[in-house]
Amino acid sequence: MIFPASIRRPPVRIRFWCLVCLGLWPAVLPGAGVGEIRVADDAGREIVLTEPARRVVSLSPHLTEILFHVDAGERVVGTVSFSDYPAAAARLPVVGSAGQLDLERIVALEPDLVVAWQSGNPARQLDRLQRLGITVYLNEPRRLADLAGTLERLSRLTGTHEAGTVRAEALREGARALEVRYAGRSPVPLFYQIWDRPLMTVNDEHLIGEIIGLCGGVNVFGHIDNLVPRLNREAVLAADPEVIAGGGSGEADSAWVEAWRRWTGLTAVRRDNLFFIPPSLIQRQTPRILEGAALLCEFLELARSRRPAGSP
Amino acid sequence: MNRLVPVLGLLAAASLAAMGLALTLGSVPLPPTEVWAVVTGGGESLSRTLVLELRLPRTLAAFATGGLLAVAGALMQVLLRNPLADPYVLGLSGGAAVGALLAMLAGLGVALVSGAAFAGALLSTFLVFGLAHGTGSWTPVRLLLTGVVVAAGWGALISFILAVSPGAELPGMLYWLMGDLSHARHPGPAWLVLLLAVVLAWPLGRSLNVLARGALQAASLGVSVRPLEWTVYLVAALLTATAVTLAGTVGFVGLIVPHMLRLVLGNDQRIILPASALAGGILLTLADTLARTVIAPQQLPVGVITAMLGVPVFLYLLHRSR
Repeated sequence: MIFPASIRRPPVRIRFWCLVCLGLWPAVLPGAGVGEIRVADDAGREIVLTEPARRVVSLSPHLTEILFHVDAGERVVGTVSFSDYPAAAARLPVVGSAGQLDLERIVALEPDLVVAWQSGNPARQLDRLQRLGITVYLNEPRRLADLAGTLERLSRLTGTHEAGTVRAEALREGARALEVRYAGRSPVPLFYQIWDRPLMTVNDEHLIGEIIGLCGGVNVFGHIDNLVPRLNREAVLAADPEVIAGGGSGEADSAWVEAWRRWTGLTAVRRDNLFFIPPSLIQRQTPRILEGAALLCEFLELARSRRPAGSP
Repeated sequence: MNRLVPVLGLLAAASLAAMGLALTLGSVPLPPTEVWAVVTGGGESLSRTLVLELRLPRTLAAFATGGLLAVAGALMQVLLRNPLADPYVLGLSGGAAVGALLAMLAGLGVALVSGAAFAGALLSTFLVFGLAHGTGSWTPVRLLLTGVVVAAGWGALISFILAVSPGAELPGMLYWLMGDLSHARHPGPAWLVLLLAVVLAWPLGRSLNVLARGALQAASLGVSVRPLEWTVYLVAALLTATAVTLAGTVGFVGLIVPHMLRLVLGNDQRIILPASALAGGILLTLADTLARTVIAPQQLPVGVITAMLGVPVFLYLLHRSR
């Protein structure tokens, strides 16, 4: 979203001097340069840039997507494999996979900011990049609120503050609308499958766990300690959820959820409550997660309508 | 013995060539003239970072790891008088892996993962040492069986850790288990260990030659077999622990390099040990160069390449020797 220049916020330099004039800035801190951008990352470290980053390397598909979403796409000079959304991102140079980075290529791109995924990139390689003097922002969104905050912080670092603020507010607003509409509806016990072999689900701490709650679902394995618990099929049969939802190995491959049909005793199978959600809409920590969330909420509403008369 | 100087001279020259190649090739193309400028103290700042900060430590680490594993493998084959012996056969890599994986699971930093790997390797060494010593008489067969069973135990623990670890840790753990040089940063201690081991083991060469023919023959020729065997075991363990700490469990080098050299040079440990240090270094340096360039920017585990290079060469040598 582009704003006319007249309503843009004044440049940081002017605001800084206003603060000094008003006496709200007690003293100019030694080393605190004019126009500096200071942002805390998800690891709680302060990232300092003297000017908005012009050459950004993104080390995860979800971060690439977020950068494009806050209009900073043209500042991205490198990504990792599977950065396929939006289409323009797929044409950028690749610097390895999220799990194994090619440090040479990253250094050769001469980035002024590397946006990294704390739990997905190898800590040693990130450490190495920082020792080489490259600024590394660590991202680790666990809640929808973190995701909105990420939009704002990355947009500040890349000088696209206006877009970031608007998009973050839209994300918060969208989540709030779903919550208002669905969170109070009658609870639907649900099993969410994110992988097939081994069978994997998520717990309540996971971003998908939060979305399940938003839609008025109850994750039958939400209490397990592990963020991404591995299960055996018997546990699912024993829990007998009302709904089985999940992704697949592709964006249109519902074979994993359909495979549950052989267990005809399951409530979810008897009521035909097997729902496929394209993995990129809900398993990536990007603003598109709202689309996945809306889909899940509608599926749960459908499941409520399929309850036989007289049952809760 | 009179072949010692030409053989080692040739291998040393090949080592330098391999390291030069490793510095020149990478996922970012640099002209050889630019690499030469950097090596001689000039060059652009970007090329200096690429060559001196990224490629050089990795090349030195690869060479040291290969050398350590090949020497350890040569020693183990003499000690156990078993051609299938490699540095990992007695469970040392398993102990190191359990240490490293537990440290990764606990979210510890880089240095602590290496430290835990080294501690695990030493723990496994002394566990096998103590158990094989036991109360009865000691034989290489008993040491081998103890080591293999301890290794199986470590294997079960590794599978358990992988099964309960969060998904985010798994790629790092798998790369560690497959052997990965992308994290190796301080090859200095490894070079020191390798150098000391080769220099100190050299005077033992004659005794080792006799030992390779059997404990009885060695004893009848005046070699004090038991202390020699324990020395060899501990030296091999230290070499392997150092290598594993640096690069994870890189397979194959320790098994194949000593055999290759024996097929070409004959079974004289005074030549085989120093030649293993150089040839192992060359093989792993070349393998790592390929590992980081073949499908760049993706990287392969170096173990994949060592096997792909080593298997055909070894089979050819074996075929020719008949």
